[in-house]
Amino acid sequence: MNRPPLLMHLRIRNPEHKFGLWLPLFLLIPIALVVFIILSPLILLAVIVLWPTGWGRVALLAPWYAWNCFCATRGLKVDVQGPREIVKIAFV
Amino acid sequence: MTDNQKKILEMLAEKKISTDEAYRLLNALGSDEGGQKEMPKVPTGTVAKPKYLRVTVMPEEGADPKHADRVNIRVPMGLIRAGIKLTSLIPNDAMDKVNDALRDKGINFDVKSVKPEDIEELIGALSELEVDVESGRGEKVKVFVE
Repeated sequence: MNRPPLLMHLRIRNPEHKFGLWLPLFLLIPIALVVFIILSPLILLAVIVLWPTGWGRVALLAPWYAWNCFCATRGLKVDVQGPREIVKIAFV
Repeated sequence: MTDNQKKILEMLAEKKISTDEAYRLLNALGSDEGGQKEMPKVPTGTVAKPKYLRVTVMPEEGADPKHADRVNIRVPMGLIRAGIKLTSLIPNDAMDKVNDALRDKGINFDVKSVKPEDIEELIGALSELEVDVESGRGEKVKVFVE
């Protein structure tokens, strides 16, 4: 399994605003894990209720797939520079 | 000793060529075969897997940087793979709706038929992708894999 990204760099610059942020994802992951554990009984309930409709499987597997997608964002880089605006997003 | 060297020596023994000619021929043969030995071997079956899909839009050369758009996007292949795998989560009812919507748009494609091995094949095929477009305004758009 891939390692998750540790930092997210966001930078937006236009004539009115200048905004830059280094988001420490490695600090947010434990918080997200705690929230997930707290919410897990509700998720389980949703899985049981939704199972006959076919969406229960989605509810069961979605957290795992979401984690995989999050891990895969490592290395993602978006850099858009216009005449007036600059937007940069990078997952490190 | 190679066949060619043997032939030269036989011709020398039969006095068909002189010692000087034999010497020159052997030298020429030696350098040819030596050159062949030093040729780098091309590794087979070890094609590097593509890691990123890149999309770049560059303004024309000499354009004013203050009035030009630049785009540089790098998407990890793992993210594309993970995104395609998400389709396996879609319930059958929703898949049918997606198929119907695609059919309405004239695309005859069964989303249900996408399998994990197809995804790997698709990503493998992307390694040969290269799109290079130059617009009328001189902007260069490139889509490639690295």
